[in-house]
Amino acid sequence: MTRIRIAAAIAAVLTCLALQSGVLAPLAISAAISLPAVLVAAVALSDGPGAGIALGFAAGLIADLGSTHPAGVLALTWMGIGMVCGLAADRKSVRADAVIAATLCAVAASLATMLLTLLNADGASLTLAASQFLPTILGDGVLALVLVPLVRRAVRADVLRAPRGPVVLLGVDS
Amino acid sequence: MRRLTRRQRLAAIVLAALAACFITLDLGGGSLAGAHSGVRGTLGALYRGTDGVLGPLRRFVQGVPHAGTNEAKIHSLEHENAALRAQLAQRSADRATASELSALRLGAQHLGQKVVPARVIAFGPAQGFDWTVTLDVGTGSGVKIGMTVTDGADVVGRVVNADSSTSRVLLAVDPGSGVGARDARSGELGVATGTGASGFTFVPLDPNSSVRVGDVVMTGPSSGSSFVPGLEIGTVRSVRTSTDGTVRASIAPGASPGSLDLVGVILVGGTPVASRPVIGTDSSLAGGR
Repeated sequence: MTRIRIAAAIAAVLTCLALQSGVLAPLAISAAISLPAVLVAAVALSDGPGAGIALGFAAGLIADLGSTHPAGVLALTWMGIGMVCGLAADRKSVRADAVIAATLCAVAASLATMLLTLLNADGASLTLAASQFLPTILGDGVLALVLVPLVRRAVRADVLRAPRGPVVLLGVDS
Repeated sequence: MRRLTRRQRLAAIVLAALAACFITLDLGGGSLAGAHSGVRGTLGALYRGTDGVLGPLRRFVQGVPHAGTNEAKIHSLEHENAALRAQLAQRSADRATASELSALRLGAQHLGQKVVPARVIAFGPAQGFDWTVTLDVGTGSGVKIGMTVTDGADVVGRVVNADSSTSRVLLAVDPGSGVGARDARSGELGVATGTGASGFTFVPLDPNSSVRVGDVVMTGPSSGSSFVPGLEIGTVRSVRTSTDGTVRASIAPGASPGSLDLVGVILVGGTPVASRPVIGTDSSLAGGR
């Protein structure tokens, strides 16, 4: 089951990166909307901070290595998204979870831009981060409204459900 | 609100330290160059596949806001370049692509350089601070790091990475980019700095210069610029003089970063080794290899 979850996570991350680069980025040029970041948030909201931290770091590192900025920046910020979303998840209302995901993704994008500005990386400026904050929240919010219920349904499917701990598997808890 | 378990807290700390190590290594030099190159190559192949499927849809949506303008531009080109248009119309059923190729051809003639046509297959992969695009040509077509990319008349950016079949271009509007520039009307030299989607800010070297709204700003002499000289950067839309006398002009970009599709890599200092045809200075199309 764990192998299927890892394979599904890799497929989801690569699909999101491809859609982000091929469709979303050119259409939303004046906002830092990020489909992979929202995916990390949606998984963490449904599956908890552990899954969020792991997926956020792995997806961020792939995106970092495929970019021109220093590797580790997105790994760090998306891991943060995964951790905080997993801790702050409402798990009952899709709208509440979408708001959490959108806000955290926009904050993470701003933090990443600030970090890159400190590192003097190309493309990062604080003015840009400030001017893009609201459009980013709105865009990420729309993506989250679609992704959160989809991911929630997917992780609840039998084949992708998180493995239980050894105590439960041995039936000691019953 | 939940709390992290002990293992989760430990994992988060270790991964954060690992990320900090990656940042330090990447800033310090080329320690991660191999990893960057491998992932870029893999993602480049993935983007190429995605563009094959979703590219037409994206280009259609991108073209909607400019539909009227493109139509007018096409009509104007039809009158001005009847002979070229007839030749292009035979080769391609796609009118938009034909007009873009025509612009690249005129650009190659104007610059006296050879140009490799390329299609934009992906935009910055992660978030809005990455002002890059990926092209479907690489070192196999003669593309090298540092080469200038144009849409025919306007500067688009410069190549920052290239593998055998794809290359990554840092857009000129990137907020960290500065380019040596010249006001085409007055000949004044200055520096144009990228400001993202809004274009550029042009600061003339001479504070008493007379930059006016509507002036066309071009890339400046090659010694002061990393771009090929003579390409249009954009048009001045407003001029502001600060209290210390510094003149700053806001420039609308000639090449809109959101609607890039067919572009050309100018082969300055490189030899066309392309399997793909190269647009020459005499407007001919020639196979490189």
